[in-house]
Amino acid sequence: MPVPCRTGCGNNAVLKRPKTGDALCKECFYWAFETEIHYTITKGELFNKGDSVAIAASGGKDSTVLAYILKTLNTRYDYGLNLMLLSIDEGITGYRDDSLETVKQNRDDYEMPLKILSYKDLYGWTMDEIVAQIGRKNNCTFCGVFRRQALDRGAALLDVKCIATGHNADDIAETVLMNVLRGDIARLKRCTAISTGSEGTIPRVKPLKYTYEKEIVMYAHYKKLVYFSTECVFAPNAYRGHARALLKDMERIRPTCIMDIIYSGETMSVKEQVSLPSQRICSRCNFVSSQEVCKACVLLEGLNKGLPKLGIGKTSKAKKMLEAYNARQMQENSLEQATDLEDTSKSIKDNIKDASNKCNSKNCCSGKCKSDASKQQNGNAKINKLLEQYGLDESPSSQKLNGDLSDDECSGGCGNSSSMPIGF
Amino acid sequence: MICKKCNNDESTVLLRKKDYYCEKCFINNTNHKFRACIGKNKLFSSQENVLVCLSGEEGSTVLLNLISNGLCLENHKKLRINPIFLHLYNNNDIAEKVIEDCKKHDFVVYVVNISDYMSTTIDLPEPNSLPKLNVGTNNTVNIFNNLPATAFNDMFIKIKRTLFIKYAKVLHCNFIFTAETTGSLASSLLSSIALGRGSQVEDDIGFIDNRDDIKIVRPMKDISKEELHFYIKIKKLNIQHHYDMKKNSLQVLINNFVSDLQENFPSTISTVCKTAEKLGVASDNADNESNHKCKICESVLNIPDGRLTALQATDFSRIVSLQKPSKINTHDKNVIKIVQENQHSMFPYISAAKCVKKKGEGVMKIGAVTEDASQNGMPYYDDPKRLGKGEKRQQS
Ligand SMILES: [Zn+2]
Ligand SMILES: [Zn+2]
Ligand SMILES: [Zn+2]
Ligand SMILES: [Zn+2]
Repeated sequence: MPVPCRTGCGNNAVLKRPKTGDALCKECFYWAFETEIHYTITKGELFNKGDSVAIAASGGKDSTVLAYILKTLNTRYDYGLNLMLLSIDEGITGYRDDSLETVKQNRDDYEMPLKILSYKDLYGWTMDEIVAQIGRKNNCTFCGVFRRQALDRGAALLDVKCIATGHNADDIAETVLMNVLRGDIARLKRCTAISTGSEGTIPRVKPLKYTYEKEIVMYAHYKKLVYFSTECVFAPNAYRGHARALLKDMERIRPTCIMDIIYSGETMSVKEQVSLPSQRICSRCNFVSSQEVCKACVLLEGLNKGLPKLGIGKTSKAKKMLEAYNARQMQENSLEQATDLEDTSKSIKDNIKDASNKCNSKNCCSGKCKSDASKQQNGNAKINKLLEQYGLDESPSSQKLNGDLSDDECSGGCGNSSSMPIGF
Repeated sequence: MICKKCNNDESTVLLRKKDYYCEKCFINNTNHKFRACIGKNKLFSSQENVLVCLSGEEGSTVLLNLISNGLCLENHKKLRINPIFLHLYNNNDIAEKVIEDCKKHDFVVYVVNISDYMSTTIDLPEPNSLPKLNVGTNNTVNIFNNLPATAFNDMFIKIKRTLFIKYAKVLHCNFIFTAETTGSLASSLLSSIALGRGSQVEDDIGFIDNRDDIKIVRPMKDISKEELHFYIKIKKLNIQHHYDMKKNSLQVLINNFVSDLQENFPSTISTVCKTAEKLGVASDNADNESNHKCKICESVLNIPDGRLTALQATDFSRIVSLQKPSKINTHDKNVIKIVQENQHSMFPYISAAKCVKKKGEGVMKIGAVTEDASQNGMPYYDDPKRLGKGEKRQQS
């Protein structure tokens, strides 16, 4: 039995909105979805007329929908924004190089200029090489720290007023929970802000802050937007993993909890006694940092000196490690170092082989598990599951599935592929 | 195994999977945690009346025992409070057990009906006896039974708090003790956040609830569930298990999640509790805003400088899902205006079905709000057909 669209437009509904539960037709869903983001942008005062805005584009669903929506709204409501795409190439074989193809497609489809910056160019290391150095733990730390700075550098190059990221409501709710679990008060305070940016950094804004991930997937599906949906690869830290699992379970019982959690984050504040780290400029790279030397520089130094764990733990620990390292340096001769280098390059190969063997395991996928057939299937499975739950069309077989919709989501992924971890 | 404190080699208490204690040291330590919590906050004058709220569950049974032990001590160690006990009647077996426990210690307990929440008059029941059931008021409480499980559990907590304060006044107590432990507080914190009550965690989870003249104190907040269980075992306390929470709710889900953490990542629980103590309300002037608190749940309703919040965004989603695209000119830059023009269909506050902004007979307003909402056929927190509005329910 067809369900009439809730708005009374006369059409039959095709879906039940995950966010509100209303049965809507396609057109009314588009309208609601787009108008809400317009509301967020205007009420949240994210942009000024005439601003240049870089969209942090990963080729994933969030950033693809963000680019499409910003282009649409920019025209419809005459924002007067000068939009461009900014992509970071982490150098993850099979993951990022494929998704960059999608970003290039976005560039052509939406007629926006695209700037790609690579870790290799900026730091001299690709993520593949970093993984080979440090193993599979703490990858997200490196990736997050480097990407945050890479985006800043890219934005500076493009001379934009701000960077729009694809963080959606689910991401933000998850981050609130994560920060509660690990007791990170400073980040808890910041992570629900719709726009962040301290002096010296280019502000980040989140136009999709109140948009449900499920609706983003459905919007992209019905609009037949092209996106790449292999999620990044490296296992998230334990806290994010817990937070994500909890949020998914909660959403099943009470879908509004995503908005409620964000509201909680917005309405609580840190008591005055709690001191937050103050910001200053990194003495090496001149980017904003809370320390004398920024985290990116510390990590980089660790990598370059073969002490990859540097900077992951506490600062005091890092100092000790450096001292020990320098002491050792004095004793070692250059010949030994040369053999070290050989070992390292060998282990890169080992690591790559290792990763490609494990790509069915839950917390692997390393991006190298690119099997097109299974990707396609998984993608269909995901949207089919959503449609089963929220779609109202009687015969699911009549749903034309978007051929471009590939979703090879790694359950151990470090977050949505679109963007850097929130709330640094 | 050797006791960490006294080197006694008959240690049977293993905490956090690594620390062994003998029974004596463990009991001393637990007593100490309880006393330190009250003592270091220097709240009470001597022989202060304290309303001790007993739910009959594990925590409250241990609290009763700790207080009773404290009162028996000699001279400077003696616990100098004058406890009066209160139990909210919800289940016959539990109520009888609480009365029996109190009688054992020569304490007086008042057993009060939950439905007393709806009553404006106060009759103090006979001590140490089950309350008379008042059919009329009992039905009124049934309104809440129609709430989705999560909202019901949330409301139940607010009802209990209101009654504690009401009876503390009647019994001339300036302080109330409740028996939350580390684990239950961690659960409450996560539940509060999941329900949009982040602004209230300071009072709902911290050592003291400061919202009323009568202070609610949580003297067992540093005692873990693990410790609770050893205490009960060693003291051979009789526990009657029961569970107030409605199933299929966020609270139960979160309780299970926290139990899991407790098993596998015990340090996370104390981290979560410490987090709670560092949080406050993001309001311009939270202190003198009593006018702008929800009368029922004490949520702060005015958020600073009208900035965009998830609440407004949710309201907007609701409106926009009910409007035909053609009805509003999408080229109108002031699409925001439609929010203002549609005030009647909005739910301004986080638990709109329950939150009451105006001063007045706050308690009775709940019914009024409920009826209004259903009569207008408005999108309502609790409308089972509107999945996502409140929460999923079985469709019949
Ligand atoms: Zn319609
Ligand atoms: Zn630096
Ligand atoms: Zn001992
Ligand atoms: Zn309220």
